[in-house]
Amino acid sequence: MAGAAQHCGGSLMSDVDFLNVGPFQLEVLRRANRPPGQLPLLLIHGINNINPNAPFLEALAEHGEIVAPSHPGFGHSPRAQDFDTMYDLVHLYLAVLDNLPGEKITMIGFSFGGWIAAEVAICRPHKLARLVLVDPVGIKIGGREERDFPHFFNTSPDELNRRAWHDSAKQPPGNYGLGWHTVIGEAMSDEEMVVLARNWDALCIYAWRPHMYNPQLKHWLHRIAVPTLVLWGASDRIVTPDYGRTYCGLIPGARFELIDRAGHHPELEQPVAFVAAVADFLTKADPRVASA
Amino acid sequence: MELWNHCENPYPFVPNEVLEQAPSVRASLPNKYCDPKIAARLYDEVFDEYRLCDDLGLHIVTNEHHSGINNLWAASPVITGIIARLTSRVRILSLGTLITVRPDPVRVAEEYATIDVLSRGRLEIGFVKSGATEMVSGDANPMRIREREWEAIDLIEKSLTTHDGPFSWEGKFFIHPHVNIWPRPYQQPRPEFWAATSDLPTCAELGRRGMINTLLFGGYDRTRQAFDAYKTARSEAGLPAPDEDRFSYMAFAYVGDTDEEGLQIGQKIAWFLTVSIKSAPQFSKFQPGAIAPEMAPAAWRTGASRRPRPTNLDAEVLISQGQMFAGTPDTVVKQIKEFRRRVGGIEHIIMMTRQGLVTHAEAEKSFTLAAREVLPQLQDLPPIDEDETRWLAQRSIAAAAS
Repeated sequence: MAGAAQHCGGSLMSDVDFLNVGPFQLEVLRRANRPPGQLPLLLIHGINNINPNAPFLEALAEHGEIVAPSHPGFGHSPRAQDFDTMYDLVHLYLAVLDNLPGEKITMIGFSFGGWIAAEVAICRPHKLARLVLVDPVGIKIGGREERDFPHFFNTSPDELNRRAWHDSAKQPPGNYGLGWHTVIGEAMSDEEMVVLARNWDALCIYAWRPHMYNPQLKHWLHRIAVPTLVLWGASDRIVTPDYGRTYCGLIPGARFELIDRAGHHPELEQPVAFVAAVADFLTKADPRVASA
Repeated sequence: MELWNHCENPYPFVPNEVLEQAPSVRASLPNKYCDPKIAARLYDEVFDEYRLCDDLGLHIVTNEHHSGINNLWAASPVITGIIARLTSRVRILSLGTLITVRPDPVRVAEEYATIDVLSRGRLEIGFVKSGATEMVSGDANPMRIREREWEAIDLIEKSLTTHDGPFSWEGKFFIHPHVNIWPRPYQQPRPEFWAATSDLPTCAELGRRGMINTLLFGGYDRTRQAFDAYKTARSEAGLPAPDEDRFSYMAFAYVGDTDEEGLQIGQKIAWFLTVSIKSAPQFSKFQPGAIAPEMAPAAWRTGASRRPRPTNLDAEVLISQGQMFAGTPDTVVKQIKEFRRRVGGIEHIIMMTRQGLVTHAEAEKSFTLAAREVLPQLQDLPPIDEDETRWLAQRSIAAAAS
């Protein structure tokens, strides 16, 4: 990886820089609150890149250095002309894993990023130690006339906003979930709007059709070979907890946990509970080994 | 000049309270509000109008939109094929089938070649980029549609002009390893290509390719800028200056016995803008690709979409903006000549007449007057003074900007 980003160890560091992965350049948010020693946490973001002011970042960084790239086309990451499929994203993140320093890494994928993380995990990258999926999309469960989740682009922003949050009135400022179009206002900076528009466009390129899933992924989730936590907002009405339980059941030994009073973005709506659940998972022994 | 009749076959019979409450009158309005018996009558009426146009010498334009009150032509090639057999004289322009929505341009080429043969070479093929609710109704990714449109046009052109057996196409958006359409088109090398756009880089590309550039309701200044971009691109590419037949414009139009009648019925046409384009935000300003990200702040702060929904459009205002031609034959002749002068020359005027609440009888009256009393006065016009009109246009644009 030419021009690989420098590892930022030491105490409290927060930085956004760029990482070159082959010909592709990624904006990367880093956060480290503790000396190195714990496994780095690679965050695979969902519909929006991780905000440097996200309410869970500081606390989560206590449990490992955070590395949070913006997918090509999201945030300030450029998107190369023909970089436009889930295939590209999976191989990009396999390359990111290969090139990050350290022997092992924990990967946490949110929503759309949970789909990416699941796809990466079935490839069994040697550095992947643990996997956390947070309200992921990516598989098709219902019948041909049943939607597992609303169409992100064809559904009214009001409806998305209503479904995405346990309490949509309590969204953390500057952090945007599904239905963010409804909170556009004077408080939003021009730069934020440009980034949101870029994110929405890029998401559409990757996931318009089939919408937010890979029909084949379900067949291969059994290949995931690392301890896996599937976390779900109990009030998620974008992708329901039942979908999450089925998803989890397809991953050998995976643990399913609900976060109360949270919707599709529990990391934004209940950051304390979210970090506690992840921290608990990270410190537990591999449950599959324990039960063997 | 040539006059064309364009009817979208709208369905203005849904109760107003339903339209008022619906977040969108396209894409999501339930089809229970479309009575097939009324639709059948509408098809009959409009096809009768096309027969009249054939007798009168007005060329015909078809298009398609989906899932909405504005248009019952769900498949332009189907409708165009019917017109090909109903008529025998006039030219027929499909403007067009939605090539950014349809998965296989080769099928489109095959359908158009069929129509060209059965019309004995009277077909013209128009391309539209499409977008908005059409991407939803056709489940087509709204991103990168301009790139997709050009690739589709290239594949259609190659399909129409290749006669030595199968060729292979492995493009960015379309893959077809075995292309060999039957029949081949009647016209050689192919029917004329048109495209509807006011996007200046696209107009420039049309100029380099020599395709006919039509604008839809663009008004004087925007149309002038588009045609200038076309001409400049040709000049910069070392290509000969285009004739006026490379330029076209679609306007609302009503020709009546008096100016008052023209205005009164012209006002009924404005339904197209006031009612039939109401669209939910996720199908319009928040659809991916609807605006360039760097334009988002300006668009979102003002609440503006790319196609704001006007609600109070006066026929006289539309006329003053060059978006409607209406009045007596002499008045309409004067308006069209003025338009031609201000945009620097144009050959094709597409009249949108049977629109909104305009009736069958009203439409037929306007077509008859247009063909008999307007069209003859638009023949053998003196050449445009390019220098003079360019200077006038620059002055007008500067005045609008200040």
